[in-house]
Amino acid sequence: MRGPLQAGSGKETMDNMITLAHGAGGKQTSELIGGLFKKYFDNEYLTADDAAVLPAPQGRIAMSTDGFIVSPYKFPGGNAGKLSICGTVNDLACMGARPLYLTCAFVVEEGFPVPQLEKLAASMAETAKEAGVKIVAGDTKVAGRGQVDGVFITTTAVGEILPGAELSGAYAKPGDKIIVTGDVGRHGATILLARDAFGIEADVTSDCAPLWETVRSMLAATKNIHVIRDATRGGVGTVLYEIASESHVGIRLDRASVPVDPAVSGVCGMLGLEPLYLACEGRMVVFAPADQAEILLDVLRKGKYSENAAIIGEVIDSMPGRVTVRTPIGAETLLPPPGGELLPRIC
Amino acid sequence: MDQNMETNVRRSALDIIRGYDGPPVRIMEVCGTHTHAIFEQGIRGILPENIHLISGPGCPVCVTETGFIDEAVCLALEKNAVIATFGDLVRVPGTEMNLAGVRARGGDVKIVYSPLDAVELAKENPERQVVFLSVGFETTVPASCLAVKRAKESGLKNFTLLTANKTMDEAYRALRGSADAFLYPGHVSAITGMRIYRELREEGISGVVCGFTASEILTAIAMIILRLGKGTAFAENAYPRVVAEEGTPIGRALIEEVMEPCDAVWRGIGKIPGSGLCLRKPEYAEFDARLRFGIPEMHGRPNPACRCGDVLMGRIKPKECPIFGKVCTPEHPVGACMVSSEGTCSAYYKYDMLS
Amino acid sequence: MCVGLPAKIVKMKNGTAVVDATGARREISTELLSDLEPGDYVMVHAGIAIAKITADDEAETEELLDMLEG
Repeated sequence: MRGPLQAGSGKETMDNMITLAHGAGGKQTSELIGGLFKKYFDNEYLTADDAAVLPAPQGRIAMSTDGFIVSPYKFPGGNAGKLSICGTVNDLACMGARPLYLTCAFVVEEGFPVPQLEKLAASMAETAKEAGVKIVAGDTKVAGRGQVDGVFITTTAVGEILPGAELSGAYAKPGDKIIVTGDVGRHGATILLARDAFGIEADVTSDCAPLWETVRSMLAATKNIHVIRDATRGGVGTVLYEIASESHVGIRLDRASVPVDPAVSGVCGMLGLEPLYLACEGRMVVFAPADQAEILLDVLRKGKYSENAAIIGEVIDSMPGRVTVRTPIGAETLLPPPGGELLPRIC
Repeated sequence: MDQNMETNVRRSALDIIRGYDGPPVRIMEVCGTHTHAIFEQGIRGILPENIHLISGPGCPVCVTETGFIDEAVCLALEKNAVIATFGDLVRVPGTEMNLAGVRARGGDVKIVYSPLDAVELAKENPERQVVFLSVGFETTVPASCLAVKRAKESGLKNFTLLTANKTMDEAYRALRGSADAFLYPGHVSAITGMRIYRELREEGISGVVCGFTASEILTAIAMIILRLGKGTAFAENAYPRVVAEEGTPIGRALIEEVMEPCDAVWRGIGKIPGSGLCLRKPEYAEFDARLRFGIPEMHGRPNPACRCGDVLMGRIKPKECPIFGKVCTPEHPVGACMVSSEGTCSAYYKYDMLS
Repeated sequence: MCVGLPAKIVKMKNGTAVVDATGARREISTELLSDLEPGDYVMVHAGIAIAKITADDEAETEELLDMLEG
């Protein structure tokens, strides 16, 4: 119905739109790379050569890749560019790895406004700087109109694992406390509202944030942490089920302790959605021994992106693979396992 | 309200429930949102063994026939209509495919929050025919009626309803004997008011109108326990903050104006005469998708192994169905009771694995 | 069978109202109800107000139990 480029300014002319020529490898391609990406991503490792040549870090490295196809590509609290850095950098952070180098590949839809692409590049540069990662290589392809929705970005990053950090989804142990580093479901709610599909308005912004500093500060306080995992499109609920399965443990959640912004609750109430299954892009779920939990909370509550950190549950040695919830009336129930596409319900 | 007082209220309803030592009691919640809330709050787990909650046929998605989905599929793929629907219906299996399958084949399926949004969709897209899938009981029907009235006032020629609306009154009578008392659906009752329940009481059918918070559900169950002890049929309102004695008269008048009763087939129960609602003819016939598009009559072929019907009638628990949890799961639902998040099978699958 | 959400009326105009549920706002129809004014609470279902709400659930249940046991 509405065109895929609905978020554009509507004032694009041939001069400031991406055309197939920008992806053909000729003059326009070099102009785009030189004039736009190089300008923002500039660092000593980003050259015109075929591959970046980098000093190798000591010890173990972590590496991750992720594709981003968010629609709309800009939303309160972020855009596809910021997201593409946060997502991959946060994956590294989950392994206790300080992000070092990142590559990015763009697939841009023909007709995409150049000024918008520039804004995405600027956000990527800003976020990369905050995360301490250098963008060392990139690629741009242009797809015919309608073949992609606006812009798709894929990023890959390498980081060096801090000595002493031994983190894995398989390491959760009975007795561990579970901490979430902030209120849940913001990104998912923001995107739902930004798509303007249900006529709902709320002052909700995405939690999209680079979390290396958050993780670094936790590891500086204690290395005795078992699991750190970032909650992304599946939300915190999906992470809990993943860890329960990978570590062969049960998880007991305290419903009343899960931090949810009231406006996110309101949106969920209207649409019959579970906030634990709404996407987050700036939240870590942390599993650590009970005697470390308060230490971590103290550190987190001083952090820029984790002021609302809370202990939401614990690991138990019964019912492996399951996540149970203690409800406000003191009863126990199962958190419904994650299931497919989130569909608003009315009935 | 301070925290302590809240706890006291809950405890007193719980005391009544926990202190019950009479013969086994069967309470049927007919509303799918109750089923959902009961699981979500873990209420079954705190009831004594002699109080049984049975889930009845009050999920509009679950009682909708397979043939209805087939009609929607036909409208989207053969008549090129835009299907506007509540999210609940998207994964309900039709004979050949569901609406998610329609979308994958390039058909237009738009999820809306309100039927009124479907009217706006029709206004914004005058070159397309927009069909709203009108399911639901008395609570939801007024919204569909308002949509039709708005479309008529705006002179829209590209908006229609595909109706599968139902009313609960006759269903209670069809369910007589399935339980000792009903938890009556709070939001249906907000429209209908208490009169129907007084009539049912005269016929020997008992129940309590119930809200949806944990304390409201516990209170309604406590009321049932106390009233059953007195031995006479009853009709109580445990949701007075929302349900007025007379209901919402404007809502009922609106239904009366735009819709007329018709026979309806309930999945699992069969045909209940006069339990459906269709657009009133001739006044609103032009908004009937079946007439506008001349779709052939469809008789869906549900999977023969599926025992949704017995589950809906409270005759069996989901686990007694041979395909429950094996062939039929929330990811690959066979019957509608597994599709809807408030469907009995779905709720049992998701929540009841604790026991 | 019907998800309902209590919400507060923020402003009203010609049979519609903007309601607020803990910070989430939406326009709904108020055509089923009369005598509403901003500040009232309503139960919202599928984009329409189906009932005016008169108390919170705790006050309600307390009263009911008092009545039953009294």
